[in-house]
Amino acid sequence: MRDIESLEKLSIDPTEQVKTDDDMALPIPAAVKNGAAFSVESNRNSRRRVLVSKAFYYLCFGVSLISIVILVVLLASILVQGHTRLTPSLLTNAHSTSEPAESGMLPAILGSLAICAVCALSALPIGIGTAIFLEEFQPTTPWLRRLHGFLSLNIANLAGVPSIVYGLLGLSLFVFMFNAFGQIRVNETSGIELVGVERYYQVLTMAGGGNSALIRQTDPAQPTIVVTESIEAVDRQGEGFTLEVWDPKSGRAKPTDPEVLRRTVRKGQSGGAYAKTSWYYFRLPFGRSFLAAGLTLALVILPIVIIASQEALRSVPPSLREAAYGLGATKWQTVRSVSLPAAMPGIMTGAILAMGRAIGEAAPILVVLGATVAKNSGPQNLMDTVVTMPVLIFHWAGDPKVTYQQLAAAAIIVLLLVLLVMNALAIYLRHRFRTE
Amino acid sequence: MPQSASVTNAPFHGESPSSESAPEVCVKIANFNAWYDSFQAIHDLSLDILRNQVTAFIGPSGCGKSTLLRWVNRMNDIVPTAQCTGSLRINDVEVLSPSTDVVHLRRQVGMVFQKPNPFPKSIYENVAFAPRLHLKLRRGELDELVEWALRKAAVWDEVKDRLNAPAFGLSGGQQQRLCIARAIAIGPELLLMDEPCSALDPASTLAIEDLIYELREQYTIVMVTHNMQQASRCSDQTAFFFEGRLIESGATDDVFTKPQQKRTDDYVRGRFG
Amino acid sequence: MIAVLAMCAFATIAITLGIVVMLVTESWHFFNSQYVSVRDFLTGTQWTALQSKSIEDAKFGIWPLLSGTFRVTSIAMLIALPSGLITAIYLSEFASPKVRATLKPALEVIAGIPTVVLGYFAVLVISPSLQWLTNGGFDAFNATSAGIAVGILCLPMVCSLSEDALHAVPRSLREGAFGLGCTPLETATRVVVPAALSGIVSAFLLAFSRAIGETMVVALAAGTQATYTMDPRAQSQTMTGFIVEMIKSENEYGTVQYYSLYGVAVTLFVITFGMTLVGQLVRRRYRETYA
Repeated sequence: MRDIESLEKLSIDPTEQVKTDDDMALPIPAAVKNGAAFSVESNRNSRRRVLVSKAFYYLCFGVSLISIVILVVLLASILVQGHTRLTPSLLTNAHSTSEPAESGMLPAILGSLAICAVCALSALPIGIGTAIFLEEFQPTTPWLRRLHGFLSLNIANLAGVPSIVYGLLGLSLFVFMFNAFGQIRVNETSGIELVGVERYYQVLTMAGGGNSALIRQTDPAQPTIVVTESIEAVDRQGEGFTLEVWDPKSGRAKPTDPEVLRRTVRKGQSGGAYAKTSWYYFRLPFGRSFLAAGLTLALVILPIVIIASQEALRSVPPSLREAAYGLGATKWQTVRSVSLPAAMPGIMTGAILAMGRAIGEAAPILVVLGATVAKNSGPQNLMDTVVTMPVLIFHWAGDPKVTYQQLAAAAIIVLLLVLLVMNALAIYLRHRFRTE
Repeated sequence: MPQSASVTNAPFHGESPSSESAPEVCVKIANFNAWYDSFQAIHDLSLDILRNQVTAFIGPSGCGKSTLLRWVNRMNDIVPTAQCTGSLRINDVEVLSPSTDVVHLRRQVGMVFQKPNPFPKSIYENVAFAPRLHLKLRRGELDELVEWALRKAAVWDEVKDRLNAPAFGLSGGQQQRLCIARAIAIGPELLLMDEPCSALDPASTLAIEDLIYELREQYTIVMVTHNMQQASRCSDQTAFFFEGRLIESGATDDVFTKPQQKRTDDYVRGRFG
Repeated sequence: MIAVLAMCAFATIAITLGIVVMLVTESWHFFNSQYVSVRDFLTGTQWTALQSKSIEDAKFGIWPLLSGTFRVTSIAMLIALPSGLITAIYLSEFASPKVRATLKPALEVIAGIPTVVLGYFAVLVISPSLQWLTNGGFDAFNATSAGIAVGILCLPMVCSLSEDALHAVPRSLREGAFGLGCTPLETATRVVVPAALSGIVSAFLLAFSRAIGETMVVALAAGTQATYTMDPRAQSQTMTGFIVEMIKSENEYGTVQYYSLYGVAVTLFVITFGMTLVGQLVRRRYRETYA
């Protein structure tokens, strides 16, 4: 059994073998002997230290409780302030300056959801793609390694950029597009319109009662039209007809048939610009639209999505990937059929948490869309402006009227409930993916 | 394996500690059981550990030897699920009682771990760490103590010129000897070593083994090891554990050359484990 | 496929470049104006971009906004750093699984609360409480209540980043300390915290940078007066607060006053980016230590 000889033949590092027998004989210094026999009784020193340690434990516990206390106080105060305004009208009405008590947040809810959708559709693919690039394609050369390090440092730094700076970037990049396509001004220019809009002049016909005809706008620089002769027009349903002109000075009798009246205008009748937009109305630059706001929020959450996805991919055991490679799968096949599915729960959780962050962000939206909350509906087309829940809350919370203060609290409750639902969804998804 | 045969020995059991010639018992373990949650890690174990001798605990992994070691200085107190019953007396003082001051106990029972774990501080600060906590020493006394401990751990000559350098800069073997110096700097009675060489290369291992063998003149040493050659090289007593039970214990030579139990025989011959 | 993924990754660099280009070009309109001198901007102690009637009287000295930011941030850090670190120590060193299971979700919920909600909380609860406690010694809008709310907001961040750092300290070091007869307090403060120090420092820096860039809380609770003072009871418009105020005001796009917000944004970006960068570099170093 004993094979000391064989071990002794091993080459031995001389530095590991320095030893003098004199050292071994050194007696234990009096300082540590302390003259005491073995005991497990506490002495003065240990008793004091254990007491201090106990005190520290309770300090830690107390300080940790603070966060729970804060949470409870916060939720309770908001509930107390807002519960009286948790009415159906809160969910069905829009903001109203004339009747504060009847104000609601329906447009804000729709707006938040719309922005969130844009945000998810743009941030998730780019974010997950970046994470896959960084995690699955590990650098092989020193130069690539440096690039990899630079990329991840840059992403970490982006995560630390204040969201309001992203708002300013969104303002320049999406709203104005660095003025490359001209500035959008109300009733003057509307940038370069690509698709989804038909511009008309709206002219009141002689039928009265709000009956109007639409005349196609040919010169975008001309904001109004004066009708002096017959012209091709369409009605609200899009049916084309020739718009007749009746000149009172001509002496012709005023038509009486309602059908005719509907197709006739008084000579010299003027009409203003009217834009008929489809939901896919698209123009450059985006102007103060929910598309611009959603893309701006995507910038804000992109680093969060990337970092969460990276962590999820990193937690996939390497053995899974090696198994796939061992079966002859290519890199991309491995990513698609092994790494991504295995990392999906983590990615989804991160994505939903990021969306929660996006729904609660107010600063970038304020910068991109302005502080206005006067909007009666959700977005009608891609270029439509919206109100979001946090901006509405900001507006209400900043208003000295008690009613608005209470409405702000009620809106906060709704916002927190939405976040709660999202978090529950994250937990559910994580759970479902895990059990599968 | 019948329960009664689980303790085949304790050869010095009952021998008078005052006897000059026979080694005296330092740690006396009796009817000891230990659990992690509902898993019983040690079954009814009794064993005597002799003063100024190196006792090796051997056995396959999961056999309870580390668990037992970690109960000697109550390290398992920091594991919330760990529990035990029975008696464990050091110098005739019961260690397992709830009133035991573990801070004071651990000062007298040094421990060295599997992987060298120097603190991320300088070499000097590592050794001075425990004396600073437990003793009020003047600067000069502390310097002397640090030098003594480093000399005792046979690492002084290698580090004396860079006492303020970070301990992470040392080689694995040097780090482990530094950890031994750190443990003895507070003057323990007993040194517990949990596989002290398992993370080291053969050369460093030999250096540590030599050191362990030398240290037993002033300390009682208990060493857990996976390595039977190591147990045979540097221990005086060997205890063989299997599935939470003490199968056999006695003088190292006896256990290795003429084991009483078949299982011990199989294990030391390398048939399992 | 890899080309598409690489493009995604490089988009992140494009974003950084976009921010820099945007800030430089837009703030150029401000710094290049005849009413603004860079020297006055960097040394001036009056900021009246929104208050002055005409551009001739407007004073563009960044220090009132910096002092406002500094006041709010210091108060926030006074709250978030100690309590965040202590909570992290508690979670990583002491807490039983049961306590953890309550405390961690609570912290996560706080981390997930939109900042505008905390701003509202500051106005609704913190500020009136301060006024009540001091018999009206505080302005209705003041640096302290905003600071406290920002502190609450940073607490979970400090806590989770510090806890990560404490977790990265190998268990063997704790056992080593306990084995030498350390009490739990000594183990935590003399071994674990020093070993995790760089991670904790980085957590502090990142939280600091977050507090400086926090917008909605200060927009609601810190007031709209840019004051150059150290008095935590006074109104204190911060850099971010000014940007929001300018966006909300009816100031015409293209005026010098409007562009002054980009001058402020450059300052804000340089400070926060610098702190985040240092924080990240420190964080990387400690990660390598225990990798």
